[in-house]
Amino acid sequence: MSIVKRTWTVNGTSVAIRAPAGRRLLDLLREDLGLIGSKESCGEGECGACTVIIDDEPVVSCLVPVGQLPDGTDILTIEGIEKKRAGRLLRQAYVECGAVQCGFCIPGMVVGSYALLRKNPRPSAQAIRAGLAGNLCRCTGYAKIIAAVKLAAARLAGRRK
Amino acid sequence: MKTTEHIDIRCPRTLAEALRLQADERTRGTLLAGGTDLMVQWASGVPTPVRATSVWNLPEISAIEVCADCLEIGAGVTHAFLVDCTQVHRHLPALAAAAATVGAAQIQARGTLGGNAANASPAGDTAPALLVTGGSVVLASVSGTREVPLDRFWTAYRRIDARPDEIIVAFRLPKKGKAQERFRKIGTRRAQAISKVMAASRILVEKGRIQSVAIALGSIAPTPVRLSEVEALLAGQKPTPALIDEAEKLAQASVRPIADIRSTAEYRRWASGRLVRAALENL
Ligand SMILES: Cc1cc2nc3c(=O)[nH]c(=O)nc-3n(C[C@H](O)[C@H](O)[C@H](O)COP(=O)(O)OP(=O)(O)OC[C@H]3O[C@@H](n4cnc5c(N)ncnc54)[C@H](O)[C@@H]3O)c2cc1C
Repeated sequence: MSIVKRTWTVNGTSVAIRAPAGRRLLDLLREDLGLIGSKESCGEGECGACTVIIDDEPVVSCLVPVGQLPDGTDILTIEGIEKKRAGRLLRQAYVECGAVQCGFCIPGMVVGSYALLRKNPRPSAQAIRAGLAGNLCRCTGYAKIIAAVKLAAARLAGRRK
Repeated sequence: MKTTEHIDIRCPRTLAEALRLQADERTRGTLLAGGTDLMVQWASGVPTPVRATSVWNLPEISAIEVCADCLEIGAGVTHAFLVDCTQVHRHLPALAAAAATVGAAQIQARGTLGGNAANASPAGDTAPALLVTGGSVVLASVSGTREVPLDRFWTAYRRIDARPDEIIVAFRLPKKGKAQERFRKIGTRRAQAISKVMAASRILVEKGRIQSVAIALGSIAPTPVRLSEVEALLAGQKPTPALIDEAEKLAQASVRPIADIRSTAEYRRWASGRLVRAALENL
């Protein structure tokens, strides 16, 4: 085992961590930093429930060993996204569209939606499907989730003018 | 404690440092890039190694260089980077298409081309697209670099031509030029699904004849393969409907697929022929 010490920015705040290099980012976020919004479902990268954004890219935190993230890494979790304007609009749209049922996949789904809108502010339904293909939901059938992302995108674009 | 926490993961900052670690048996570790294969294997009970050497984000292997006739793509380049790179779309469209079908956004952001090739799964999506370029793999060790043609790189099921002290640093891939490239993957679901069969092709038709042709398939043999018999049938010919029929039949006869959890041997054989047809129609 090797222990690493790092200083990252997590949700806009500087955070010093000390952990085994092989510790999964997901465990560090949930157990060491108390950020329990990111969920563990499959633990194998398939479901997207643990999605976070590292340096602007959505990743599944269950497959990232913390040693690979150098000093200065910028991590955004659902707790940080909900404070951003796009995050608030997404949350509101998810609620209005009835896109949430059991809710377990939703943090990852919202992080995935946020990452998608950063890259593509006006995604087509097809682009939303493709962009969220790595986030599995077993309740909703996706239609309302896709509608929610469309609604949030429209509001985001509308206010930007 | 979770399984991967026991691993002594070294995270060198430079390629030279990584190569030095790999040179000595006492410091050598399992190479770890984006971890989208390895972390999954370790989570699902494959024994973890004592040491791992991270090659994630090593600057020397994380860029794409555009040369006169080829693209030199660093082994650490992610699928997301390939999908976003206009040079890859222009000169190696089959590779761009293959990278776009790997997992979904989260996997593409971490999974690397080097990891996909070194993992050496017959279902690795980028392999057929790499094969049809006729390019090569560049491997490095402390004693220098070595180039291996891609069609000799995958030596057997999950085996590659690389020594334990070597790191894949790049892929040297000739541009397609005037040829047409295609990539087609058949899986259970459009995204986040390992393929049942996939095919890449690079075909140049000039003056009504097939001047050069490369067709490669994945998931139908222990390694990704070029369909050399089919290529020989097609070379120099006019791509007529009769020839395409013949190529489809020959492809079906020449592949040796297995049955597994993802598909049956019969389906894979049939689909191999259909994919060859799709590579040839409307050129
Ligand atoms: C949910 C999910 C979906 C997936 N879907 C697909 C899919 O659709 N298609 C597909 O092809 N794959 C898929 N994969 C597999 C995986 O994402 C790819 O194979 C990826 O390209 C692996 O790259 P990596 O950098 O993550 O490799 P790692 O997991 O880091 O390494 C994989 C192997 O490559 C070796 N290696 C890595 N870098 C080097 C190097 N520079 N030199 C020598 N050896 C090296 C490692 O030692 C290891 O043996 C999926 C994985 C997951 C979790």
